[in-house]
Amino acid sequence: MNLSRSSMWFVAPAVFLMFILLIAPVFVAAILSFTDYSLGNPDFNWVGFKNYAAMAKYSAYKKMFSASLLYVIIVVPVSVLLGLGAAMLISSLRFGGEAYKAIFFLPVMATLLAMAIVWEFTLDPIVGVVNAYLTRGCDVGWWYQFISGAWYGADPTTSWYGNGCNEGFPLWIGDKDYALFTIAFIGVWQAFGFNMVLYLAGLTSIPRELYAAAAMDGADSAWERFKLVTWPMLGPTHVFVITITSIRSFQVFDTVEALTRGGPSKSTYMMVYAMYEKGIQQNLVGIGAAITVVFLVFVLALTLTQVYFVNRKVHYS
Amino acid sequence: MASIRLESITKAFGRTQVLNGIDLDIADGEFLTLVGPSGCGKSTLLRIIAGLEKQSGGDVNIDGKTVNDIRPSRRDLAMVFQSYALYPHLTVRQNLATPLQLRDMTFTERLPIIGRLAPGYSGKRAAIRDAVKNVSDTLQIEHLLDRKPGQLSGGQRQRIALGRAMVRDPAGFLMDEPLSNLDAALRVHMRAELSALHRSLGTTFVYVTHDQAEALTMSDRMAVMMDGEILQLGEPDEVYQQPMDIRVARFVGSPQINIVTGDMDDDGRIAFLGVKLARRPSDGTTGRISIGLRPEHLYLHPHTPGKTFCGELVYKENLGSEVFLYIKVADTEDNIIIRVNPTEAQSIALGDETHIAHEPGKALIFNDQGRRITLAGSPLGEDAA
Ligand SMILES: Nc1ncnc2c1ncn2[C@@H]1O[C@H](COP(=O)(O)OP(=O)(O)OP(=O)(O)O)[C@@H](O)[C@H]1O
Ligand SMILES: [Mg+2]
Repeated sequence: MNLSRSSMWFVAPAVFLMFILLIAPVFVAAILSFTDYSLGNPDFNWVGFKNYAAMAKYSAYKKMFSASLLYVIIVVPVSVLLGLGAAMLISSLRFGGEAYKAIFFLPVMATLLAMAIVWEFTLDPIVGVVNAYLTRGCDVGWWYQFISGAWYGADPTTSWYGNGCNEGFPLWIGDKDYALFTIAFIGVWQAFGFNMVLYLAGLTSIPRELYAAAAMDGADSAWERFKLVTWPMLGPTHVFVITITSIRSFQVFDTVEALTRGGPSKSTYMMVYAMYEKGIQQNLVGIGAAITVVFLVFVLALTLTQVYFVNRKVHYS
Repeated sequence: MASIRLESITKAFGRTQVLNGIDLDIADGEFLTLVGPSGCGKSTLLRIIAGLEKQSGGDVNIDGKTVNDIRPSRRDLAMVFQSYALYPHLTVRQNLATPLQLRDMTFTERLPIIGRLAPGYSGKRAAIRDAVKNVSDTLQIEHLLDRKPGQLSGGQRQRIALGRAMVRDPAGFLMDEPLSNLDAALRVHMRAELSALHRSLGTTFVYVTHDQAEALTMSDRMAVMMDGEILQLGEPDEVYQQPMDIRVARFVGSPQINIVTGDMDDDGRIAFLGVKLARRPSDGTTGRISIGLRPEHLYLHPHTPGKTFCGELVYKENLGSEVFLYIKVADTEDNIIIRVNPTEAQSIALGDETHIAHEPGKALIFNDQGRRITLAGSPLGEDAA
């Protein structure tokens, strides 16, 4: 046996496992997306692009795309900027930084499903603390004046808050105008601690001498130093944080499943939830697989963008 | 142009005292080197002059004005860092322009597009372009202007860092070991170039290094620092030839000065390794003394009682133009190092017994506190043996 043959025997198990565990499932999903297979059925029919056509045709799937995209568009920038802000504040602390880190990281560590239950109680229109306090605030004169804008001469009843006092406050996850934003809020709450930790790592890797150089060169304000040193030096971190947060936001599932089940009227019908509903609950494996493939294309596109930026722009060489 | 004056500067980080009352007068246009072993507080002192670090006590004066509360960029000093600290995301051209943009252009003028509309924008732009061009001509870095720092060699980065400091035409330069990341040959070359630059600019240079060779070759005056104090301040020749403290004698000079312990007989005469010095301490010092002998002041000599001491040759360090002999002498801890010329070195083999004499008047005597002792009837050190 010559050398190259024997070397193939050595890599074969790893390649085999990689294929079976990592690549094959994607292929299987891709193949299933062209069928009408249901779990338990002995066989299936090829249906061509029918599943994909359905995705383009029915409004439920249009809502799925717009809900997913809107969710990502809200959660990514907000949680990234909050994460960066928190990281910069914490790293400028002389003491107490560790405590803040632990506290902000709590939502990341806690199971989102368990936390979703807490949020469900908090946001409940009848017994939840949010609406209870909002309602109580209506009777506190200065607070009502302040929030409803009466202090600068606006008509309080036309403001959001004044309206809420009269007509009742939103149902949050039960209201199709608010549900997605509420879910996105919880998404931000959960994600920014993670981004903060990544940014903290990025901040510690900035050489202190660069700040000294910036101070000598006349970057006198904190904003100038941020612009000249902090922001550009965090380049690789930005790309990583944004990509990871986008992928994780695309994958949002727990909160949807626990709080809204895609409703009301599909306003929170996000992709992974749709996959689950179609492919598992309704046993429409073909359409579930088609959603999966589209989902993977999105994620792949994000990842490739990251690779592009990492190679091109942020490595400064 | 700037003279810099430090008055009893102290600095403590928490409970660690790093600087213990530094007084220093740096003349306008002077090249002053702060030299000392690692951790003695050189960088800290330089950062205090720059304003990057706040002193715990004492005053920094620049041109007669106290600048304790003036921010770094307003002190009109420029700094070159050991790691160069170039902005890695900017091209060399932008790196060089940054200090000028920050100093000369207003916030609005620096905004990407709106800035162009500001009155005076194009004039300032042109002035900055000219300044960058001048500096890159002087340092011969025009061909690097469009590269990023990551695409440059260490030596090139060093030049850019120098350029960024020069472009503002500051009143003084502060340099923190700017050559320590370069290879030996380039370092020697840059030493000459920095000296030339200093002559042509005529500005004050404060230069920090732990390399005594850099201090000796470049400076007008050097300050030897140790443990947060300046032990000696003077011209390089003076510091080398007349060290006032045994730590200075040990630090300055390569290879190191030979230190041997000596005795004083009842008569006050100094003897070491069987050699007697003719002169006595002027101040009647008694107790343990140390004698410092530089390698170039020792030579091979036929055995003469009272004048030579002997030892065994254990190692020859051949530097081509000169050879250092390491000689094991009984009763001394370290080998005695002597400098000879290559022909002399050939006449003697490892393991040979050798006899050594010292040049009269060159022995440096230190008391048990390590302070220099003057010898009677002669100025410092001139003790005709
Ligand atoms: N920010 C700081 N916090 C605490 N201690 C510090 C700090 N900066 C410096 N020190 C201490 O101060 C002392 C002097 O440091 P400094 O950097 O001035 O030394 P140095 O003479 O420049 O040494 P080197 O030649 O290695 O650069 C060191 O013991 C160092 O540990
Ligand atoms: Mg230092």
